[in-house]
Amino acid sequence: MTKPVRLILLFLALGGISGGQALSGQTAPQRGADAETLIRNATVLTITRGTLQNADILIKGGKIAAVGPNLKAGANARVIDATGKFVMPGIIDCHSHSMADAINESTLSVTSMARIGDVLNPTDVDLYRELAGGVTTLNVLHGSANAIGGQNAVVKIKYGRPVSEFIFPGAPPGIKFALGENPKRSNFTSIPGQPRRYPATRMGVEEVIREAFTRARDYKMAWDEYRAAVARGEKKIIPPRRDLQLEPLVEVLEGKRFVHAHCYRAEEILMLLNLADEFGFKIRTLQHVLEGYKVAKEIAAHGAGASIFADNWAYKIEAYDAIPYNAAIMLRAGVNVSINSDSDERARRLNIEAAKMMRYGDLTEEEALKLITLNPAIQLGIEKRVGSIEVGKDADLAIWNGHPLSVYSRVETTLIDGEIFFDRQQDLARRADLERERAALEQAEPNRPPARGEAPATPRGRRPAYGHDDDLWDGEDH
Amino acid sequence: MQTDHRRLSAALLILASIASLALPQTPPATGPRITPHIYAITNARLVAQPGAVIERGTIVIRDGLITAVGANVTAPADARIIDGAGLTVYPGLIDACSTLGLPAPQPTPTPGSGPPATVAVQPVSPPAAAAGAPNSTRPVGFRPEILAADLIRPGGEQIEAARSAGITAALTAPRDGIFTGQSAFINLAGDTPQEMVIHSPVALHIGFTPLRGGTYPGSLMGVWAALRQMLLDAQRLGEAEQIYDRDPKGLRRPEYDRSVAALIPVVKRQMPVVMYADTEREIRRALDFAQEFNLRAIIAGGTEAWRVTDRLRELKVPVLLSLNFPKRTTAAVPEADPEPLRILRGRVDALKTAGRLAGAGVRFAFQSGALTNMADFLGNVAKAVENGLSRDDALRALTINAAEILGVSDRLGTLEAGKIANLTVTRGDLFDRNRRISYVFIDGRPVDLRPPAAAAPGAAIATGTWTLKVELGEVEADITLTLQQEGPVLRGSMQGALGAGSISNASVGPAGEIRFTVPVTVGGQTTEATFSGTITGNEMRGTVQVVGRSPGSFTGTKPQ
Repeated sequence: MTKPVRLILLFLALGGISGGQALSGQTAPQRGADAETLIRNATVLTITRGTLQNADILIKGGKIAAVGPNLKAGANARVIDATGKFVMPGIIDCHSHSMADAINESTLSVTSMARIGDVLNPTDVDLYRELAGGVTTLNVLHGSANAIGGQNAVVKIKYGRPVSEFIFPGAPPGIKFALGENPKRSNFTSIPGQPRRYPATRMGVEEVIREAFTRARDYKMAWDEYRAAVARGEKKIIPPRRDLQLEPLVEVLEGKRFVHAHCYRAEEILMLLNLADEFGFKIRTLQHVLEGYKVAKEIAAHGAGASIFADNWAYKIEAYDAIPYNAAIMLRAGVNVSINSDSDERARRLNIEAAKMMRYGDLTEEEALKLITLNPAIQLGIEKRVGSIEVGKDADLAIWNGHPLSVYSRVETTLIDGEIFFDRQQDLARRADLERERAALEQAEPNRPPARGEAPATPRGRRPAYGHDDDLWDGEDH
Repeated sequence: MQTDHRRLSAALLILASIASLALPQTPPATGPRITPHIYAITNARLVAQPGAVIERGTIVIRDGLITAVGANVTAPADARIIDGAGLTVYPGLIDACSTLGLPAPQPTPTPGSGPPATVAVQPVSPPAAAAGAPNSTRPVGFRPEILAADLIRPGGEQIEAARSAGITAALTAPRDGIFTGQSAFINLAGDTPQEMVIHSPVALHIGFTPLRGGTYPGSLMGVWAALRQMLLDAQRLGEAEQIYDRDPKGLRRPEYDRSVAALIPVVKRQMPVVMYADTEREIRRALDFAQEFNLRAIIAGGTEAWRVTDRLRELKVPVLLSLNFPKRTTAAVPEADPEPLRILRGRVDALKTAGRLAGAGVRFAFQSGALTNMADFLGNVAKAVENGLSRDDALRALTINAAEILGVSDRLGTLEAGKIANLTVTRGDLFDRNRRISYVFIDGRPVDLRPPAAAAPGAAIATGTWTLKVELGEVEADITLTLQQEGPVLRGSMQGALGAGSISNASVGPAGEIRFTVPVTVGGQTTEATFSGTITGNEMRGTVQVVGRSPGSFTGTKPQ
């Protein structure tokens, strides 16, 4: 395809997205990672090298090329004047369900074969709202309906592009585990006529995980034997069946796949850490981990990260013992802590969630910012690419009109790989056009309502395409 | 008096004996036909295929096949001659993906309606085999071995409606589930299923609808995982059978599994896979999957296929484009949230998809896509033509493209000597809004057509006095409706066995869809009844919903 055609198609694709960003004339000619961008005269919150006043950031080929005062850019560079503004690394949300057309495969207790990557919806408008909150990277997780859930997807929010461009290059794969009330289905009345799913207790959850890894070990052995036989030159041999449920668990055993485990209570956290030690693998992150402060030393000793809410508690029995000092206590015990959203709404204001941790537990400004930048980057194994403003890292940046830990600040511009994916001024400028377009579209024949028809149906939920999410969720706790 | 009576009895007796003699004389199902079916349409405009028009010519049909087409063809002496002056003969239209001839899907048993549930704690229960059903380890909705050709039934309302819309043949496959089965290409006429089938199996169909009732896979994510596993199993079974058949001694036999075995031709690219996908992301997922397993993919639905043209062309994946264009079905009320721009744009873009696919060089054919009103089939093609599709490309998508994509172009799709005599004959151009379907020939025989719907826009087709027969359970009632139509607005009143009253919430659609609410008195109680149906010419039929009763039906006529 020729370049102009591709640009037109891109334009069409962008036009097809409700409320989408209009990368109109200004950026279209030099779209893409080749463009050079200079952010001038900003207060730069580098996260790893302190705060730089009146500093410039030079972006080349999608990477941060230089940070410092009075940088020079080429004649064709896009220049963003950030005088009086604050630049921080793009926020990383280590627990999201945005853009997932399905969240839970809840029919079985082990659904490691399910892949979030198969059901990503790049047009989910929540993504745009998250960009407007300075978020650039998401850990899109399977829900917590089962002890071993599905495979995750780490994405950059390249809203308006095909899904293939969202996938975070080189991010280690992960998988969701879940302990406690959700996998044992305590808060869900079983549907009449359906047998209740095993397990129904925390003991059962442990057994399900142990049984699955026992099977995974046997499966690995069967393949090892087969490969050895082939290597010996045996010809007449039927290969073992490939089992997509067990393959990811073998990867966990081999340390090639990160475990992100939803958990609440101290005893189940210890159970999982012991179980992982027994099978010789690591838990990469404990998600929610509301009672983590009670076993912070043990978590630190195992090397697990903790990805938590700032101050959510008491929304169910297993959440009664949560305290907002959880982050501070675990951090002081040597645990890598991040703050996540687990919510399309909260994801838009993770900066405020981080700021709360200065109020509860006296974190420093830099420590608070790390909770939503470098720490989640480490938890996802992508800290060499994102999480701080350093030369050589991806130019995933959020430009704020004030300090991001202030409740009065908001995002002006969000960049990913040096490209603008949200710009407040462009958004405002485009609204009148969208209203005009809407008025014109309402007049088009297929949009004209049949006169005097029946009353409109109740507006559908936000995932109308399939409607097979676990509809039992309270929306807070995936 | 007595004599008269006797005479009458005698006459009746004779009549009865004649009737009993006549009855067993229905022709046997097999054996040579006694009457040859030879037709010639003369002096007609013949569109042999898109772009090949004979302005004045003759087409001859003999015993189900086209025997001659051309300007200088003479009608044989033994043919029944149809004067084709003012008529245009097209290759018979094809619906490239439908459920025609198939029984309506069984409603999924709702939880609680079955026998009392045992609260057994077990991870997965194998699906219980229904008595008399074929052995399968797979749940309903996950059985690729199902053949549409085994399920079709001749006749029926749907087929009649399709034929009256000018459709002569269709691809048909069950629609519900994940592996919905293997499709059959059928003619829409014939007294037996065997007579209808032209080609079977044509393709494996994948519908992506998660299974219900707590059975894996219960989500779209699980659907993809289960599909992937099943195709891997098929690849392995194919290899294992080869190894085993070479020398079975010393090897465990591969497990017999009809469902997996049915997929072996698919993973070997011998059978194409029709995947239902409408939105851009659904189409991209389907194409990714086809690439992952090296499948011969066909996309069905394709509403947003215009966004994926480069990949469709690159992978040579054809589209069975649905004519069930999205439209706004409900009136906006002030309290309702405005519809997202994406939805508003989508409805407008849907009309342009066909033209854009043609422009981008993506091969496509039209399908009905579960249209409820088959009169919209050609009507919506006309809309696509108004939105940038050339008439030749439109005809291609209704005939030869469909035949090529579905592997029957050697016997169907054009007017050529030797091909199956499926013809659609119109008065007026096929894509003009006021054309009429004059004749439909299927397998060389004309089929009965319903009277054309008086669907000229603006015509007050509902206006008049209607006599309706309403059936509500055991209650049958005759009522009289007096209707006054102005554009889509409808006013009027009802009188008769169900009481009297004015109609409200009434509307008439452009294709004759009618809807109104009226108070009715049934069994001494007065409640609201909602009538919804279709007007076809001077006939009206549809369903009645009465609060607190099971739905009923109504039929009626408007005496001229």
